[in-house]
Amino acid sequence: MEIVYTLNDLKAVAKQLIENIRSKTLLLYGDMGVGKTTLVKAIVEELGSIDNVSSPSFSIVNEYKTVDYLIYHFDLYRINGIEEAYNFGIEEYLYSNNWSIIEWPDIAKDILPKHFDKIELSINDDNTRTLHINNI
Amino acid sequence: MSSQNIYILGIESSCDDTAASVIYNGKILSNIVASQKIHEEFGGVVPELASRAHQQNIVPVVHQALAKANITKEQLNAIAFTRGPGLMGSLLVGTSFAKSLAYGLNIPLIDVNHIQGHILAHFIDEEGFEKPPFPFLAMTISGGHTQIVRVDNHFDMTVIGETIDDAVGEAYDKSGKILGLGYPAGPEIDKRAQHGNPKAYKFTKPKVDGLNFSFSGLKTAILYFIQREVKANPNFIEENLNNICASIQYTIIGILIDKLKLATKQTNIKHIAIGGGVSANSGIRQALKNGEQKFGWTTYVPKFEFTTDNAAMIAIVGYLKFLDEDFASQDVMASARLKI
Repeated sequence: MEIVYTLNDLKAVAKQLIENIRSKTLLLYGDMGVGKTTLVKAIVEELGSIDNVSSPSFSIVNEYKTVDYLIYHFDLYRINGIEEAYNFGIEEYLYSNNWSIIEWPDIAKDILPKHFDKIELSINDDNTRTLHINNI
Repeated sequence: MSSQNIYILGIESSCDDTAASVIYNGKILSNIVASQKIHEEFGGVVPELASRAHQQNIVPVVHQALAKANITKEQLNAIAFTRGPGLMGSLLVGTSFAKSLAYGLNIPLIDVNHIQGHILAHFIDEEGFEKPPFPFLAMTISGGHTQIVRVDNHFDMTVIGETIDDAVGEAYDKSGKILGLGYPAGPEIDKRAQHGNPKAYKFTKPKVDGLNFSFSGLKTAILYFIQREVKANPNFIEENLNNICASIQYTIIGILIDKLKLATKQTNIKHIAIGGGVSANSGIRQALKNGEQKFGWTTYVPKFEFTTDNAAMIAIVGYLKFLDEDFASQDVMASARLKI
């Protein structure tokens, strides 16, 4: 499915996104500046966490808490190979039955759980964003 | 035991680097970070820069720290290690190693919060560097952190402001990426900024309430600005790089200084201690010096090797906790989301 939105609609978009995904593993695609981390902030809030969502670009993984689950928020941009991903224990996170939201996910594509949701973000000329969800 | 002859080994493995340090009564005797040099000396493999496996590095790094300090492990009084926050896989290596070593030597184990380490690095005895008096404000600025912490005592700290999205070092790195500079981009932007006009281009400062920071919007503003200009003139970046860098740096420093001004006003504390890798930035140092004259601040910047991720800061926290006899049990676990 496809959603076109502005930053003011983020809360509603996050709600709609959560209703339309089929897994707890979300792969986030989109160029720098398109608003990936901003969208994650809205998703995490919608999932019921009050934790401060910040960029994991340096830390690689941030963890947020909801009542029932943890949410792992990855940025794999700095990871140079699958070996590095194994070194920080990526499969422990991915197969923990918690939420995984992954920015720049390509490096992990061979070790993902069977079902995941692909979310693609792009920016339009009028500064709105388009979001595509693919259940895989 | 005498409080006069305390040797503590500090171990840091929270993110990319594996590090070990020996401290003797508050003075650092060795401060080692895993690097190719160690691998050369120990004849081992040289892994890719970013993929250092802590497991390969930890033993040589600890050996090197003890050798440089000219002591044997039997002389150690305690082992301090980073418990968190950080990457779980990385933390586990340091935690398990520290627990085993302390158990084997039958000496106390001390768990350290990495963020407290950045702040308490100011209490390392180092000639020419003054220690801040309590209470003071600590601003940690790095690739992963942007925080203002009110410090009332060594272990009485309150976070009063932090980033709600990107860290300041990330703002530098991502701006650098947009401009086609290498990683990390902070040092080059800083260098070029000194030859450019800081008011050449204006970027709007984010509106964030209170003492929190935001740098994500700035990154996006810079991205769109560059895309627009490059459309009109494909050579825009090359022709104006120094001015662009100076304007970015000017905006970032403005954001940091505005928040510090607000923090000093709200808390009435004028002693400001800076930590984290971005504290090496010459523009930020200059702005802090100006703040001393303009606003009556006293600012403290530790020696550079104690500002980036390092084990000396873990060792000093270990020493301070040792004096308080604040030890960890063998049941202690690494904690990826440890808070102050």
